[in-house]
Amino acid sequence: MTNSTFNQPINRRTLIKTFGAAALAGTGLFGASHKAYATNAQHVVVIGGGIGGATFAKYLRFAHDDVKITVIEPNDHYITCLRTNDVMVNLHTLDELTFSYDTLRNQYGIGFVFDSATAVDFDRKIVRTAKGDEIKYDKLVMSPGIDFRFEDYEGHSAELANTQLPHAYKAGPQTLMLRDQFQSMKQGGVFVMSAPAGNFRCPPGPYERISLFAEWMQKHNPTGKIIILDPKNSHSKFTPFQTAWQRLYGYGTDDSLIDWVSLDQGGRVTGIDAANKTLFSDGGPVKYDACNIIPNQRAGKIAQTLGLTDDSGWCPINRHTFESTIQQDVYVLGDSSIADAMPKSGNAANTQAKVCARAIAAELRGEEQPAAIFANVCYSLVGSNYGISISAIYEVVDNRIVAKGESSGVSPITDLPGQPILEATYQKNWHRAFVKDVFG
Amino acid sequence: MTKKAFMLVAAGLLFSQSALAHPDNNELRYDPEAMAWLCAPCHGTNGREFGESMPGLAGLDADYFIEVMQQFKRGERAAVIMDRVAKGFTDDEIAAMAQWFAAQPKTQWTGELNHD
Repeated sequence: MTNSTFNQPINRRTLIKTFGAAALAGTGLFGASHKAYATNAQHVVVIGGGIGGATFAKYLRFAHDDVKITVIEPNDHYITCLRTNDVMVNLHTLDELTFSYDTLRNQYGIGFVFDSATAVDFDRKIVRTAKGDEIKYDKLVMSPGIDFRFEDYEGHSAELANTQLPHAYKAGPQTLMLRDQFQSMKQGGVFVMSAPAGNFRCPPGPYERISLFAEWMQKHNPTGKIIILDPKNSHSKFTPFQTAWQRLYGYGTDDSLIDWVSLDQGGRVTGIDAANKTLFSDGGPVKYDACNIIPNQRAGKIAQTLGLTDDSGWCPINRHTFESTIQQDVYVLGDSSIADAMPKSGNAANTQAKVCARAIAAELRGEEQPAAIFANVCYSLVGSNYGISISAIYEVVDNRIVAKGESSGVSPITDLPGQPILEATYQKNWHRAFVKDVFG
Repeated sequence: MTKKAFMLVAAGLLFSQSALAHPDNNELRYDPEAMAWLCAPCHGTNGREFGESMPGLAGLDADYFIEVMQQFKRGERAAVIMDRVAKGFTDDEIAAMAQWFAAQPKTQWTGELNHD
């Protein structure tokens, strides 16, 4: 970016003045640290201020206080995808899942450019934005989330998802649209979900969603029914979910609120006729009153546009650093990355961001690359007071991310009556601590 | 014993345990801080969040941290998730994290940058 601010040493006084001017002019002041960094400080640019991007920026400041950090993000706030299932059954509002970047900007000296990155010149190491800025980087980091494979479903499209058939798998208007469609379904209506195949964001997410929907229906639409059509024969936290469904929703009996149709039972969805409220599956047509196709997925659009994906649709990376194996000095973390045994979760992106921050800080200092260690903890609510979890610590062995020691596991099935409610309480504590670790 | 003296003793203990566990390598494979950062999603940045079911780790006595983690690891302590998490760390790694957290200020995280 050709901005003379880059070449000026910044002390606190000029920082305040420049911040004021920048706010008025609506242009970014990049990488202003709470400490004046050196004139020749290197510039780390982050595309996207989601869980991965925001955590990375904060923890790079911990790892290196003499580096300019700039986040390019279209919005001045972020709505987390995590806990959006709660919003659809009135356990949370979207406002409660919305976070500003004020702490990162004001207390960590991270510059924010509220604009969209549109192109990258890898040779000249420049990011171009929609408003026409050119931002020069030494290291470029992105955590661009997911994109949907609507083409896997005949009759489906991004347009249809935005207007009639929300996937509600990114936070925002579709979350509220699906909430309204679900809650206004007629008494005795049938809600049908199509779950994704392959690698996808939040592997237990679809199953948590229908679980919370089942709890809501017990109160508000007790003669209704939920069918989940699945292109898989198993899914994340399979036994804990099925056990909880038996305990809470009569699963496995004639009165079950939930009917799960596996791949072998014809659960794969191939198309939709929205006008006639019909999904087409391997097992035949399925009529619905309300429906939620969570499509198959691939790396976020910008990762595809920039050529950072391989044939799998995801981004190959160095497991110790998250540097792209396709472009030098470009790092891809979070859902878009190929992280082997790690699920595509917010908690995974958070610990990947910390590994990436340490790796970049070490490289900028000319130090040896640290060995990478990660964690994932993921709670699902099967009812508002019934939690289940999966967790693991991860390390890199033979260039693959694998579970470390005997750490990988799901909630045990026990007769302890307090266990599920404790897990639900842990979930709520995790959520509060987690968003603060990312944004504050 | 002063805190500093305790830290020195504990560091010596850590070193001797490492030497036992890895006869050819006295150094931990993972930086203690890198491991401690993994705890933040539940226990807060630098272990400085406290919730009704989530103890803060910052400023925790190192011996207590080690004792509790070892009990989780051996399945001798009632757990929701920590029995699984603790199995992901070696004895040396647990001791290293204990030292790191013991040195953190035990006040609620306010979002301030914890650098001088």
